[in-house]
Formats: sequence, C-alpha cells, structure tokens
Amino acid sequence: MHCGYVNHLFDIDFIEIIEYNYVEKTFFLTAVLSPNQCSDKDFIQMNMNIEEMRNIGISAHIDSGKTTLTERILFYTKKIHKIHEVNGKDGVGATMDSMELEKERGITIASAATTVNWNGHVINIIDTPGHVDFTIEVERSLRVLDSAILVLCSVGGVQSQTITVDRQLKRYNVPRIAFINKLDRIGADPFKVKEQLNERLGHNAVLMQIPIGLENQHEGVVDLVRMEAVFFDGNDGEEVRHEDIPSYLLEEAEKRREEMLDAVSMFSDELMEAILEGQETEDLIHEAVRKGTISRELTPVFMGSAYRNKGVQPLLDAVVRYLPNPADVENFAKDLGNGSKEVRLEANPDADCVSLAYKLEDGPYGQLTYIRIYQGEIKKGDRLYNTRSGQTIRIGRLVKMHADNMEDISQAISGDIVALFGVDCRSGDTFVTPGLNYTMTSIFVPEPVISLAVKPVDNKSTDNLAKALNRFVKEDPTFRTYVDPESKQTIIQGMGELHLDVYLERMRREYRTEVETGKPQVAYREAISQRAEFDHTHRKQTGGAGQFGRVTGYIEPLSDGQYEFVNEIKGGHIPKEFIPSCDKGFRSALTKGQLTGFPITSVRIVLTDGQSHPVDSSDLAFQAAAREAFVQAYPKARPQILEPIMKLSVEGPSEFIGNYFSSINQRRGIIISSVEDGTFARVDAEVPLSEMFGYATVLRTLTQGKAEFTMEFLKYGKVPVTIAEELKKEYLEKRQKESAS
Amino acid sequence: MVKAELIRRSPLRILEKSIHGGLKDGNVGVLASRKGVGKTACLVHIATDKLFQDKPVIHVSYASRVDYIITWYEDIFKEIAKERQLESALDIHDEIIRNRVIMNFRQNAANTDQVLKSIEAMIDFGKFAADTVMVDGYDFEKATCEDLQKFKDFAQKTGVRVWFSSSLKGDEPLFDKKGIPHELKGCLDQLDVLITLAYQDDHVRLRLVKNFDFPPPGDLKIKLNPKTLLISE
Repeated sequence: MHCGYVNHLFDIDFIEIIEYNYVEKTFFLTAVLSPNQCSDKDFIQMNMNIEEMRNIGISAHIDSGKTTLTERILFYTKKIHKIHEVNGKDGVGATMDSMELEKERGITIASAATTVNWNGHVINIIDTPGHVDFTIEVERSLRVLDSAILVLCSVGGVQSQTITVDRQLKRYNVPRIAFINKLDRIGADPFKVKEQLNERLGHNAVLMQIPIGLENQHEGVVDLVRMEAVFFDGNDGEEVRHEDIPSYLLEEAEKRREEMLDAVSMFSDELMEAILEGQETEDLIHEAVRKGTISRELTPVFMGSAYRNKGVQPLLDAVVRYLPNPADVENFAKDLGNGSKEVRLEANPDADCVSLAYKLEDGPYGQLTYIRIYQGEIKKGDRLYNTRSGQTIRIGRLVKMHADNMEDISQAISGDIVALFGVDCRSGDTFVTPGLNYTMTSIFVPEPVISLAVKPVDNKSTDNLAKALNRFVKEDPTFRTYVDPESKQTIIQGMGELHLDVYLERMRREYRTEVETGKPQVAYREAISQRAEFDHTHRKQTGGAGQFGRVTGYIEPLSDGQYEFVNEIKGGHIPKEFIPSCDKGFRSALTKGQLTGFPITSVRIVLTDGQSHPVDSSDLAFQAAAREAFVQAYPKARPQILEPIMKLSVEGPSEFIGNYFSSINQRRGIIISSVEDGTFARVDAEVPLSEMFGYATVLRTLTQGKAEFTMEFLKYGKVPVTIAEELKKEYLEKRQKESAS
Repeated sequence: MVKAELIRRSPLRILEKSIHGGLKDGNVGVLASRKGVGKTACLVHIATDKLFQDKPVIHVSYASRVDYIITWYEDIFKEIAKERQLESALDIHDEIIRNRVIMNFRQNAANTDQVLKSIEAMIDFGKFAADTVMVDGYDFEKATCEDLQKFKDFAQKTGVRVWFSSSLKGDEPLFDKKGIPHELKGCLDQLDVLITLAYQDDHVRLRLVKNFDFPPPGDLKIKLNPKTLLISE
C-alpha cells in the first residue's frame, strides 16, 4: 500500500504503509526521502496516526481579524516565510484569500483549504467566509469540518455575524474553541467578550488564559493551566518565552484558574477528586477540557493579538490538545441502494471509499475539486463512482492545497481533505468506491430570493458569460441561472444583493464579461388562502382519436410544504396509469400564478373523483384536465401574493438607535427587539426584501459608516394590499404589452 | 372562543375592576415578590392581554436575554390559546407579534435617561404607538426615587402606562404590617398601584397593597396558577 499523505512533511518520493493497526488507528510507514533531503535514499520509519489529524475552520465576524490569524498560523507552522496583511499594503495580500476580488475588498469569500503541521499533528484549515450573504460557502465548509476556532474581536465582541456563524456551527454540531483577538486595540475587554459568549450565544465559555496588559500595553498571556506567563519575542513573535506570572496578576490568575477548574471539573470525576485533594495535574485538566469541548458543552477561551504576533502558538497547542480528530466525529451517509438508510462511516482507510466534493474552484490548471474523505482512501489512478451523476471517474492528479500553491500527492486517507484535478462534478457530489451507492447527507440549500436580468454588451462577453455562469452554478448551489422563455433574457438568481454583486464583479474580472443589468427582482410567490372545489372535464374531438378526462376534487392551503398531491379516488374512476398524469398537470399549473406570473406555493391538491373514456382518455388528456381544473379553481381559493421576508440585524453605536428604528420602520419592517449594552446597540427586525435594496448605503449615510447589518432569508409573508394591487397591475400591463407585440 | 370573547372573559378584567379601571395614561404600577414567584409570568400575561386588544406593548428587560423573553410570550400565548380554545390562533399570533417589541438593557451599563431616550426613539422614530411599557427585572435596590420619578414623568409625557416587576431581596420580614415591601416604601409616592405576590397553598396569591389614593382591598380575587403560569380567577 502506498501513501502520499505525508508528502508535505518531507519531500518524499515513495512511501509504503507496512503495518496498519485498526484499533489504534496507527500506521507504520516506510518512506524514501527525496534526493535533496537524503542523498543516500535513507529509509525513515514514521508513525502516522489519524488521531494526530485535525480538520478545523476559522469562523468569525468579518473584521475580527481571522485572515490575519490564519496568516500567522501559516507563518508559525512554516507554511509561509513572510507575513502579509489582508488589507496588504505590500500588494501581496494574505495567502489564504485566493480570489483577487477578496484581496481588494479585504474580505474572504472562497473557502480555500490548506494543510499545516504543529507538534507532530497535521491540521487542515478551511478558511470560511465571514459575510452572511455567502452563507452557503460557510455551510459547505462546516459540513466537512470536525471543529472550529471561533474568532472574536476583543472590542466588538459577539456581533450579529458572530451569532449567525455560531448558529451555523451549532447546526452542524461543530465543537469549537474561542480566540479573542485584537487585545492591542483601544477598548479591548476579553472578560466582557467571554461574558457575551455565555449571554448572547449561550456557550459555557471558560477562560484558559488572561491577558498580560491590554491595548498598547499588551505583552502576552497567562496560561491558567500551567500557571505561567507566556511572552512572544523576536521580530515576528516566533520565540515563545515562559516566565513566572507577574506579581500584580497573580491574584487575578488564581481566581480565574479556580473558575476554570470549577467549570472544567464537571467533565471529569477524576479531575474533581484530584482538585479536592489538591493533586490536579496538567494532563487531567487537558483531558477534561478536551472532553467538554468535543461534547460541545464547553468553549475554552484563548486570546491574543494576531496582528501583534501574540497568542497564536498557544492557540495552535489548544487545537491539537482539545479539538477532535476525524475518528472522534460520527459521520453518516445514506445508502441509496437500501432505501436511503443511514449508514455510519468508519474512519478506516481499509474500508471502501466514501468522500464528498464540497468545493470547486476554477484554477489556472482547470477545475479543482476539494474533497473530504470520510472513509477509506483515495489513490492516484483509483476509479471512483459519482452517485449523483452515475459516472465513474479516474483520479489523475491528487493534491494538497496551500491557498494558490499545491503539492502533488499519490494517496490520501479517511479524515483528510485534498483536491482532485480534472474531475467533472458539482459541489455536493459524493464519490465512492464502485459498487457502493452511498450519498452524504445533502447540504441545506436555501432557495434564491432575488433575481437580476443580465445582458452581455458585446459578442465576446456573450461567449464568456455562458462559461462564467456554468462555472458559478457548479460552484455555488444558491446561485442559479435560466433564460426567461418570454423575455429571452438571461436571469441570475441568488441570496441577496451583495451575493449577486460579487458574481457580477467576478464576471468582469475573471471572465472579462461586461453585462448590463436590469432592476433587481424579488422572487414573489402566490398562495391560496382558502379551500376551493373543482370539477372539470377536458374534451376534444377534432377527428381521429379524441381527448377525454374528467377530474373532481379540491385545492386547499398547505401550511408546511410547497406542494402535496393526494389521490383519494376509490373505485378506479380514473385508471391508475393516469393518476401521475393528473399530478403532472397540476404541477405544471403551479409554475405561473394568475396574479403576478410568479410560482404558486403551499398548496395541497386532493383528487376525489373523475371519469375516463376507454378510447379517448390519455396521459395528455388528463394532464390538460388537471391543468385546466386548477386554473378554474384558483381564483375561488382567494389567492394572495407572498414576498420574501428577511431577518435583519443592525448593529452599531447606541447613539444612532433612533436612526436604526426609523430606517427599519420606513422599510415596512417589524422591530422584534433591541439590545443595548453601554455604547453598543443591536436591533433585530423582520423586513421585506423588496424594501432593502441600497440599505447598505443608507445605513452608512445615517451612521457615518459606523453601523452594519446582516440579513438572511426568514420566510414568505403576505404582501400588503396596496402593493399587491401594484404588482397585479404591473403584471397585467406586461401581459398586454406582450400580447400586443 | 373568538378573540373578543376571550378579552371580555379574561381574569384581568377583575384586576382592572379592582384598580378602578386599570392603569391609565401616565400611571405606574409595580408587581413585587421574591425571585421565582411568578412576576414575569404576570407581567407577560398582562402584556398579552393588551396585545389581544391590539394595543402595542414595549417590553423592557434588564435581566433576561431577548430569546428568553420571547419564549415567555410564546408560552403564555400557547397556554391562553389552549385553555380558551382560541379560534384562528395562528393568525392572531401573527397579528400580536407586530404590536410587541422587546428592548433589552444592562442596568449597569444604561442609566435611566438613556433607557427612556431609547424607548422614546422607538415610539417616535420607530413609529411604535406604545400603549403600555413593561419593565421587567428592574433592580429597585440600585434605583433611586428620582429614577422612578423619571419613568413617571415619561409615562405622563408620552401617554403610556408602565408596569414594573420588582424582585425583593433581603431578610424576612420583607413586608410591613400593611403588606408594603420595605424595599419600596421610600418610593410609594411615585407608584400608583402596588401588587405583591406570594405562595399560598397550591397557588400564588396577588395582594393589592397600594391602589391609587383609595384604601387597598388586600387579597385580589385572582391568583397565579403555578402550573400554567396564567392569572386565573
């Protein structure tokens, strides 16, 4: 058996696994070093262990400095040899921000993956985006993570995006440790942030360190487990110096250690007993913290200033000490060959392979597919089966990624995150050993809520637009596109204004495509509000075989779900083979409502009776009968127009609270709550998406750029009567115009 | 039961009758007891009764998280809807949410002037025509009579009524011979109505100890059911 997994540790030509201990999940490897490292081709023997692997994400609010932190992690783990900043004045930009656009905006959109080594452990880092409009990117990244570092700003603390990101971590049961960053900033208060973790996020946060000085006095941290001061010397903080705790901090450190031990001992009886006897050891404490963290009942809190090169190395120690390895985490797939029964996956390299393609990137060398291996192993030359497309692919190139740089490897084992070259697939596809028919639980994909017509300005752009759209659709399931059959316009759809803006920008930059855009269009829906009966006969006699089908039943509102078809016909008045035809006919009627032309949702259709003709009834006849029956019943069911309602969270200085209230009120918003904590305020509200275009600019103007907001889809809600009338009028005029032309 | 009947038959009509038609514009009332007796339940029930009458309510909370308060409202609504078999409960629920806003402050971090300024901003800039302001978790130990007077002045200026809940601390006896909490005795002038809560047998009794300038009748003919956390006859 060959393994290329450790190629990043040494420059290795050839590796052989000579023994694998399944119980201990330990490999014994024999490796041949490359000539540049070992001219005599010495053999080295290494001990590789799944327990020494970590798949972590770095999740945070956009300005909490997570890209800087990632950059420092890469530096201290010797992945990069020079530090660059995200808002890089040196023109290089942080290494993890792989897209040009991100570098320019100082934000992270794509989740590049990279691998680093720390204390004999292998850490795969997924850099997750911070902006809520790109939630699907975060969600997809979280799906493949085993744990995360939640980065918080020591001044801003828990902000609305932190809440969103934390909710996502909870949704995927991701254990986390917290890192309170920016202790060098004016107003830094890590103790307040720790309280906010408990109060606002409902964590059981416990300080593992306390700061030595804050703001411009920030020098290092006190390690509450070892009870020592830690300083970071050298030009880039690379020399870690351990000292006695400064006397003025001793009392505080002892108090905080006691608090920490109180919280941590809940996870270990052994530790609790040891504490009572005054015999607690570092190992016992580490073990208890690890247990609490993995069970997601404890959030150990670390701190420092990534920008000032303080506190990063102890954080890395915490990652390997407290966060789970792939074998600690339960993962499941669905066996499509066995009624979608859930199957638990084993982090065993000898088992059949099950892996998930979670991200696609269009690189300079073609499509790059990031995959997480959940079970088995992947080797160069292997054949894998894509359970969605039914295609079998051959693994040509297998690489480990470091932002824009890559390392070729020949093999990777379960738990690992690697990238494949030249594989045609979509994000979310499952690749398995041929013969298996497993699919990983699908990633939650919200429906798009906004659409925009795009028109290329010249022929060159027309060609490139198709390429760009094809790529974006494959990369991001929340980005969709279609050609409107009536207007023949190309429509793009997404999760918000900013979401679509980023893709328009990428069209320009990456595909040199210039497009004109229409007005953003909200994805309205129609729904009925009461039950209505139908009894309709479709009859056509035009010479030759006629068409006959009669359907009887009712339509009614459906509270949970988009569409339900119920067949209650007894006695076979409609032959069985035509029931699916009725379903198909009803479905086709739902694609376009009569009020606005938008799709109809939340409707149950019940077929109670009908009639057929031995000669003239057919699939088409019943489809037509169902479609026409629905069209007749629909106006009687009091149809209404629904609009997307967004969950809005505005936050900023309290002094602008009146502005937050008025801006929400002017947009037909309902204020749900406000929270004021000294000088900081947050307002949560529900607002119709149609009123939110340009809100970023308005809020910036109202608050001198000091406030920000996040927004995500919440639900569909009724449109007020006056607006409904306008929408109906617009639709009528559009139809009249179309029929006139 | 339809909404109109539910409002008419609410046990809170008894409370209103006892306090001469209920709190009026500019009035201040207090519900006081030891912690964990049921003040928040009472406060939320009174607020929900206002919401049923389409009267907007601002719930000011000093102690609890917003989601915790929302859960209180959801639970009390569900209990009322279940107990009274309320018709069109879902639609009514959607309607009343529009008339409720929760404002959370830290009493340490926000002084009374700031709190009142924010409530006023909600009324003026948020165009939220509040009928009643519920102030939950207010620490009367930290507050002064001046603070209460500011709330009273605010109530009179904006035409709202204000209900406070007060957690009584300290050693027994908490109350004087007239049943007035020692902690609140210094600020009685600022209060129009004062109701105390205490466990009695299997329920929580409500006692009216200050009733404007009228002689207080003592025990009210309503109680708090500790199981449903609803005020009942």
